Amino acid sequence: MQITGMLWGRKLLDLVEYPHSEVRGPELSVDDIKDMIKRHNEIFIKPVFKGGVGKKGKSGLIGRAKNFTDALSEKERLYFAKHKIGNISAKSDGVTYEAAVPADHEVYFSISDSTIHRSPAMTLTHHGGVDIEDLPEDKIAVVPFEALTGLKAFHVSNALVGLGAPTAIISPLVQNLPKLWDLYNNYGMTMLELNPIRMMPGKGGRYAPLACDFKCAFDQDDPAWKRLELPLHIFAEDNSEFEQEINQLRTYQGQSDVYVINDRGTITAPTFGGGANAMVTELLGEAATISSDFGGNPPYEKMHEISNITFKHWLEQSNVLFIIGGKANNTDIYETLRAIGDGLRGYFQANGPKPLFVVVGRGGPNVIRGMGYLRDILEALGVPYRFFGHDSAMSEVINYAMGINKWMMNGGKEEIAAKMNIK
Amino acid sequence: MVHKQGVGDFPYYVGINSLEELATKDDRVVVLNILGKESSGVTPVSNDYSGGNIVFGTGPGKSGKSLTTKNGKIPVYNSIKEGMAAGHKFNTVVVYLPPSGVKDGIAEAVRDNPGLEKAIILTEKVSVKDSRIMRAICQMNGVDLFGGNCLGLADSWNHVRLGGALGGNAPEESLIKGSIALFSNSGNFTTTIAVYLATAGWGTTTSVSSGKDVYIQYGPKEFLYALDKDDRSQAAVMYSEPGGYYEKDIKTDKPIVACVVGRWKAKLSKACGHAGSLAGSGDDALAKEKWFMEYFGVDGIFTPENPIASKKGALVTNIAYIPEALTEVMKLNGKKPDFESKGSLALKSWFGNNQGLNLPKELDTPVVEAIAPYNDQIEALDKQVGAQYRRETLKDTSGASMMDPKSQVSKIHQVSILDASTKTFEANLVFALCREYPNEYGEKIANIALNAHVNQFGQATLAAAEASRENGNSPNTVVSGAVAIVGKKMVEPAMDAAKALLSLFQFAKFSNPLGSYDYKDELQSAKQLKDALIANGDDFCADKIADCLGQDTQSTFIKFLFDFAKQEGGKPSMDAMIAAIWITLGWSGLKSKKITKGTITRLPWYSRIYSTIVGVVASADKHSDDSFCGVKVEKLLKEFSFTRTAFLSLMGREPSDDELFEFQVLLGLIITNGPGTISAQGSKGAVSADGPEMPDRVQVNKAFIGFLTHTGFAHGGNGYEAAAFLIEQFKDTSLKAADDKNHGLDLDAMALEYSNKYKAYKAEQKTIGNLEYAKVPCINHPIFKGKDINFDPREEFVRKLFKEKGISNVFLDYYHSIVNSMFKAKVSKNVYCVNIDAVIAVILLKMVWGEYKAGNLAEADIETSSFATFLFGRMIGCAAEIDDHTFRGKNMDTRTPASKCSYVG
Repeated sequence: MQITGMLWGRKLLDLVEYPHSEVRGPELSVDDIKDMIKRHNEIFIKPVFKGGVGKKGKSGLIGRAKNFTDALSEKERLYFAKHKIGNISAKSDGVTYEAAVPADHEVYFSISDSTIHRSPAMTLTHHGGVDIEDLPEDKIAVVPFEALTGLKAFHVSNALVGLGAPTAIISPLVQNLPKLWDLYNNYGMTMLELNPIRMMPGKGGRYAPLACDFKCAFDQDDPAWKRLELPLHIFAEDNSEFEQEINQLRTYQGQSDVYVINDRGTITAPTFGGGANAMVTELLGEAATISSDFGGNPPYEKMHEISNITFKHWLEQSNVLFIIGGKANNTDIYETLRAIGDGLRGYFQANGPKPLFVVVGRGGPNVIRGMGYLRDILEALGVPYRFFGHDSAMSEVINYAMGINKWMMNGGKEEIAAKMNIK
Repeated sequence: MVHKQGVGDFPYYVGINSLEELATKDDRVVVLNILGKESSGVTPVSNDYSGGNIVFGTGPGKSGKSLTTKNGKIPVYNSIKEGMAAGHKFNTVVVYLPPSGVKDGIAEAVRDNPGLEKAIILTEKVSVKDSRIMRAICQMNGVDLFGGNCLGLADSWNHVRLGGALGGNAPEESLIKGSIALFSNSGNFTTTIAVYLATAGWGTTTSVSSGKDVYIQYGPKEFLYALDKDDRSQAAVMYSEPGGYYEKDIKTDKPIVACVVGRWKAKLSKACGHAGSLAGSGDDALAKEKWFMEYFGVDGIFTPENPIASKKGALVTNIAYIPEALTEVMKLNGKKPDFESKGSLALKSWFGNNQGLNLPKELDTPVVEAIAPYNDQIEALDKQVGAQYRRETLKDTSGASMMDPKSQVSKIHQVSILDASTKTFEANLVFALCREYPNEYGEKIANIALNAHVNQFGQATLAAAEASRENGNSPNTVVSGAVAIVGKKMVEPAMDAAKALLSLFQFAKFSNPLGSYDYKDELQSAKQLKDALIANGDDFCADKIADCLGQDTQSTFIKFLFDFAKQEGGKPSMDAMIAAIWITLGWSGLKSKKITKGTITRLPWYSRIYSTIVGVVASADKHSDDSFCGVKVEKLLKEFSFTRTAFLSLMGREPSDDELFEFQVLLGLIITNGPGTISAQGSKGAVSADGPEMPDRVQVNKAFIGFLTHTGFAHGGNGYEAAAFLIEQFKDTSLKAADDKNHGLDLDAMALEYSNKYKAYKAEQKTIGNLEYAKVPCINHPIFKGKDINFDPREEFVRKLFKEKGISNVFLDYYHSIVNSMFKAKVSKNVYCVNIDAVIAVILLKMVWGEYKAGNLAEADIETSSFATFLFGRMIGCAAEIDDHTFRGKNMDTRTPASKCSYVG
């Protein structure tokens, strides 16, 4: 759950009265654009992406205009711009108009929870406006601080002095940056980054540290972000329809984490446990439809609902239903396999039989009872299956499931269909 | 940073000096939210495994309650303060609170117990903010924090586990004493890795499930520090996932096998699985692999094919390779495994079934005996013979039939009635109850059982039916009278025989009743069941059946019965033979848990009812002491399929081959229309009222009466409407036989003439305001409409089937002419479909047309035949509903609550 850009960033910054450049949204009228150019001499036009999308500047997705004609043509270019970083693609829906800020200095600032220090930490440099990873370590200050007392003025001051920052920028930053801890700490953030902060000279030569870009991430397990009453659609791009349906079941009792790996995959693997999730998804690769973690001893009702949603989205295209986890410590295998079995039977009843092979690899409390229940259902449905206990290496069981998948792609599916009398 | 000074030179507080101290016999534990769902299952096992180390638990408002364990009851208090005031002392707190309460629980424990040393958080989804605050609190107060989202700590040497469920409900299975310390980001893998290690002969010392939230409170560096101080531990296994810099710059004096999994997670834009497994650019799986490889001084990942390792350790990316990698690293250090290897990690299938597929050899893994104690559990499971359904309210639902709302094709036991209509009547009668179609031999013996009781001569059943018939009742009412007499007592000997055979063979490990099986043990055990299996006198009919069954016997049960009778110097009773037939037919379904034990022992009852219904449709004068409808009983038993017998009963004559096939198709199409139909509702209601939760009390014959009384002139008799329409069109023609391809009639012209007349009639009726004008029956359909030319796919199926067989039917051809001419005459806006009900009518009319034209059959007789045919077909579906509801439904589950009923008077 991330936000990038100033469209929403400025609203969050306003909450703690942190200064920022003038930012207007896509609703801006032609007259307003003209007025903005007139007042600021130059404006930036930036695409609005949902979720966490960075590196817009490097990709040529920031327009600048000093006249109305250029502004409109940049608007046209960027309004529905497409952007790809690594594996993640995004499409813009609108633009922001941001006042160009004449500045002598650019500053990078972020707060996150540091796994090195195991505390919150500020990262600060007056060599901002670039990728922080590109700077040598001695030009960056990483300052851990107390979780209970938060980011203080002296942290900022000491860091800037240590970096040898120009004295003129120290005071305005010391005065303003600690406000951002309130934003970070009070609204459930796990990361907050302003890059760049442009130090705009004002009256009497005093600088104003204007935020010119914004990025933050929220902790899904911290309800504090809900206080911001942000419209949910700004995060929606993060989730597929399937993920959204499953996410609605998210409670602390039992995991329900899913991620669509390949919407043309042929192995659907309800996976139990974070470790199994990491391993199964790695080994199945593109053969998998989804990556999932349904561990944590989900109650029957929740698991049944998860099964129904998962089958609805993925069973039609799947060759193998692969139920996989290690030797469970706490998860009641009878409850999970019963819920999945009932879900599968319900799916067959509603949609008719499908040529499917079921592979299970699991151990833990009530495993035999659970396997017995699922076996009976598969027997009644006429679905071929193999169940392995925890004494078979998980990777071998995964390889077996992949072997079955390959066999099914080479004619096995038709053989099963014929046996199940599917036409 | 403010923190108490602990061991080592960590920039934060660490209290644990040696792994030995992590989970000790001296630790005393308090569990927060001890009576919560998860804790109440896990805590007793922990307490018992650790010899009773839990002093008390808390739960607001739950003071005075307790949690029972084998080591005594654990008292519960409202708060820690209250528990301590009661005199309890502890050094460890285990937190099972929901996420929002975790931070407060830690604050309470730290504040109220100055002696607190360890805090273990099991809870998942604790917010990052709370994690950092709890860390700060514990750092300032000198408390070691573990988790959250972890499974706690366990020590195989000390026989102690603190916190969660490491090792599940049987910790001894996984926590085997040895020399390896475990540190795992995954709780599940902590146990799984321990199990894997045992296969190479390695046991464990201390196991740490660290959790994998953003904050790992007790991390690898602290763990390795304590490893070095622990003389018991010779090496460590660490399982790590992407995210965080915890493993960077590690150091230890002892070897490590590290497993890093999750390269794919670099693609993620949000966490999936462990919350903290979301890496930035510098802490993904590849980065972690690099850190370990640099530390070990190796240039690659260990695999069995390429075993790269150093004295300092090895890196794997698959947990299955951990045991081998560890053995290799320890070999370089001159160390041998702790014990003989226990089992292997090779693929071992505990359950499997190819369902008749020929899998490639490498995928056809055999089912093997599971390791103890699971083998015993599977054996116990195998003693649960037959299906065991969860009972549920079955008012408008069914485990037997359904109608696909899109195709309008109904299914019975997942087989569409279109496919069912290609099977014989007897095959469908067996399938309805056994949920598997019989093969040729199965059909043969089913015919014997069904034909055995079709002749009702001299029986009360026939007398009752005849009395009812004479008094002007409809066929369903006539049949009901007879079925009422087929009570439990009548079929008890056959059911007892079925029970006897089941008790002898139920645990036998064969599912194919037609294969070879050595039943010498059963022959001995059966002596005490002699009364149920052996005849106590001569029975002519039984001898005839024995003759038939004795030829080419394939059934294990029938062979057994004959051999047993021979052994005992007697003859098998007729009831026992009927029972043996039905046990044979139901055996595979029972063994594959498609049907229940209750079903298989009641099959003889259903069989008797099937025979009775078909039998009494023929009037009393058609039954004699040795024949039925003019066919000798002996011939009936030896030569007649039950389909043929049913035709004989209905028409009083034998069918031609084509007629037999058409009749079979006709019966198949009628089987079911899903659980909502009135006939299904009638049978279900009858079962429900008997209380299926005690299935022995459900009267099968009464349930059939429920079905029969829920048919009538509107439901079952309405097929006659179409027949009457056709009779009207054809009665004055020269048509003598409906299968005569050279009938010489111009069907299109007849149809057009009719359509034009109908158009005029319709216009006239509308003019006079009559909207209830007569409609042409069996054309058009609420689903299959709206196209230029419409087809009912079910009708298409049957027409194609008949075409393939070279069977023609002038009435069906005429129906197609009708829908075309209606369009031509502009009665309809498009070409209507001929629907499935028309098919039923045309098949039936074709069967009786010759007799009708010859004047041997009145129109009323046609209606009766039509109705009786419906009963034959529908009894297949209703038998399935009755059995399904008996073993799946609840008492009185078909009633409608008073609140949902309304008064319209």
